Amino acid sequence: MSLAGYEVEVQRDGGLTTEEMTLNMGPQHPSTHGVLRFIVKADGEVMRTAIPDIGYLHRSIEKISEKVGYHGFMPYTDRVDYVSAMQCNQGWGMVCERIANIEVPRRGEFCRVIACELGRIASHLLAVGAMVQDIGAYTPFLHALREREKINNLLEELCGARLTFNYMRIGGVAWDLPTGYPETVTAFLDQFDPLIDEYHDLISYNKVYVERLASVGVVSKEEAINYNLVGPNLRASGFKYDVRRDEPYSIYSELEFDVPVGTGEVGTLGDCFDRYMVRMKEMRESCKIVRQCLNMMPPGPVLAKVARKLKPPSGDAYIRVEGSRGDMGWYVVSDGSEFPYRTKIRTGSFAAMSIVDKVSRGLMIADLIALIASFDVVAPEVDR
Amino acid sequence: MAKNDIARYFKNIKDAVATIFEGMTVTCSHFVRKPYTIQYPDRVPVRIQDTLPFRYRGILEVDLEICTGCLACERACPIDCIVIDAPKDQKTKEMLLTRFDIDIAKCMYCGLCSEVCPTGSIHHTTEFEGADFSLESMIRRFVKAPVVAYKAKKEGETDPVVAPILERGMRYIQEFAEPADMKKLKAEQKSAAA
Ligand code: SF4
Ligand code: SF4
Repeated sequence: MSLAGYEVEVQRDGGLTTEEMTLNMGPQHPSTHGVLRFIVKADGEVMRTAIPDIGYLHRSIEKISEKVGYHGFMPYTDRVDYVSAMQCNQGWGMVCERIANIEVPRRGEFCRVIACELGRIASHLLAVGAMVQDIGAYTPFLHALREREKINNLLEELCGARLTFNYMRIGGVAWDLPTGYPETVTAFLDQFDPLIDEYHDLISYNKVYVERLASVGVVSKEEAINYNLVGPNLRASGFKYDVRRDEPYSIYSELEFDVPVGTGEVGTLGDCFDRYMVRMKEMRESCKIVRQCLNMMPPGPVLAKVARKLKPPSGDAYIRVEGSRGDMGWYVVSDGSEFPYRTKIRTGSFAAMSIVDKVSRGLMIADLIALIASFDVVAPEVDR
Repeated sequence: MAKNDIARYFKNIKDAVATIFEGMTVTCSHFVRKPYTIQYPDRVPVRIQDTLPFRYRGILEVDLEICTGCLACERACPIDCIVIDAPKDQKTKEMLLTRFDIDIAKCMYCGLCSEVCPTGSIHHTTEFEGADFSLESMIRRFVKAPVVAYKAKKEGETDPVVAPILERGMRYIQEFAEPADMKKLKAEQKSAAA
């Protein structure tokens, strides 16, 4: 039979009709990485639809901003995407700087970019590690997490926390790099670079692994654009769009880096394997960016003088940052008081959830796990 | 056709075995590498608290001796987990601290309070093991008996008890304000100008 253009095999042995079965995956399921629920309608092992049910992790973060003010909201942005909180910090910082017309000192921008890119590596490590684990290989997951712990140690040294950094402030960053930090980071990058190759040896081209991912969950370029996919998910479909390159903010216009896109090397362009590979390649680029920043870093202050009670002129501002899960939009409306009138956060995971239903039709149930993992959906970012 | 299928079948098996072997060589190489894990909490060579970086944001502590009662920390906290009562003594006209509570169950260790403290009185420690059996015991009450709030002296601190505490507080502030290489740079700039 055909379902929404997909050929779905339905077995009718001896004239018996098979019945559709409704399965509940989640909200507590080890492979949904957080509290997510999918209502799966399946015929045997083949899915007809997989409808995401979101909202289990809704914490009204946008509403909280209206109560805690501009400075006080910074620690809450850590919780928007707790896997890579640095970019959320930067988003909030940037949108407030735009609306209040604050200039960030140059050294502050470098501190921000270094922190963000380290955060991106950590986030992608967790993404690929968790993806491999969902497919069934446990060792690579531990390897990825070991490296992520090292980055967490670095960030802990920088800002005192391992996940909820609260490192940036409106007008710059809270603290300059600690003494000897560039050497520590360079030493880490030197040992991390070859480990990416080792990771490839370990799992990336493993036949069993490739078979599970190649040509599974294909998202074409048009689909990706129509469903508003962003970040690595969009680039894996072959569309070269990166906020850091196309709408450069901070100091990204001065830095040299490639934007990796999917190539369809083992299957079809835009399959799960491409999404995995784009993340692996992006880690290399992030290493490159951090190295450049450490070399180019000028001396100077890191934090601009900003009033304790920030009262931006009334108006609104929108900025985008390239988070680990793609284009992250921050919108804030000010009415001239010390509290934002309205805040809106647009996140990449939410867009990725919308396409799950479309792509999962006709797939095996086991492939849904690979699909969700390859979209790198982080539940709190979906709900905020 | 069938022949091709059989050939592909065996090739797949061969590929799978070969790539798994390749992965296993990486795994096995870890037999001879240094282990990265530790056995927390009882079999660590040094207490974890002692190995944490200086900036680590652990459970908050207050040195009442140098608290000026300015309430800056209470105002900066986004979730109101600090409660301070600082009434004026009617007779001596001095500010008294009668209550300084921090609810560490609510605290999210963001560091916004310690950042604004003028004397470094409220500061993060590297302590993180705060589990307890009741919520009530999570409220740290720092004022045992009312104390007079600290007043900065122009000539510098001379009291032998307070001076080292104040020095520690100031060091805490300084460390966050600018790291050593910034200080060096400023000194260089100064000497270049002179
Ligand atoms: S660390 Fe943050 S949440 Fe905790 S008391 Fe200080 S300001 Fe409040
Ligand atoms: S702890 Fe510091 S910020 Fe808080 S009232 Fe005392 S002096 Fe002021």
